[in-house]
Amino acid sequence: MNLLSQEVPISWYLLLSAILCSRGVVGFLIKRNLITMFMSIELMLNAVNLSFVTFA
Amino acid sequence: MHLILFVLFAGICLAGAINLLLQSHPINSALSLIVVMTSLAVLYLLLGAEFLAAAQIIVYSGAIMVLFTFVVMLLNAGREERTMGSGVARVVGFPAVVVILAVIATVILHAQGLGVASLSDPITTTEDLSKVLFHELLLPFEVTSVLILIAILGAVALARHGHGDPEAQGERTAGK
Repeated sequence: MNLLSQEVPISWYLLLSAILCSRGVVGFLIKRNLITMFMSIELMLNAVNLSFVTFA
Repeated sequence: MHLILFVLFAGICLAGAINLLLQSHPINSALSLIVVMTSLAVLYLLLGAEFLAAAQIIVYSGAIMVLFTFVVMLLNAGREERTMGSGVARVVGFPAVVVILAVIATVILHAQGLGVASLSDPITTTEDLSKVLFHELLLPFEVTSVLILIAILGAVALARHGHGDPEAQGERTAGK
């Protein structure tokens, strides 16, 4: 019951966004293929979107 | 409920991101990126942004990923060799990523007054969104459409470059 009504701190969302963005950077660094590098950039973009939505 | 859903879909999201890094075939990377974007849409719903969640699924998981798979299949991109990055990336890039992530995490975890997100937060409906978008932010909206038009023109110019007839290319170089 306690678990069901618990709320999530805003900082967890921001932390998730930071982790996703850093994984995008790592993917951009280790990938050789142009398309997968672009996918890593999309991952970074979505992470920043998540932080925007969190602050909104 | 919020906590359970958040942990579940954040875990799926991070697992998809890890899988995107580990897969060596571009199609598998694209499929795991779909998983990441769809779970991000669920997180948007948890934050009360229902329109953005729908747009995320339709635009990102639908249109953009179909575009990605089309490009991968058209270019016939095969399995890539794993190089673990160039020398500069290994020496400067990875430590920089770790340091930046640590700094951001420290700042976020020590920030005060961020509050909590609960499921009882008011949902931003499409009506509220369109009122803001078409009344107060009308000029930035139109400027954005002009920007997209310029991007389309740039794509057409780049695609035509080198494929036109030689006379047109000669004129173009003469015009420069």
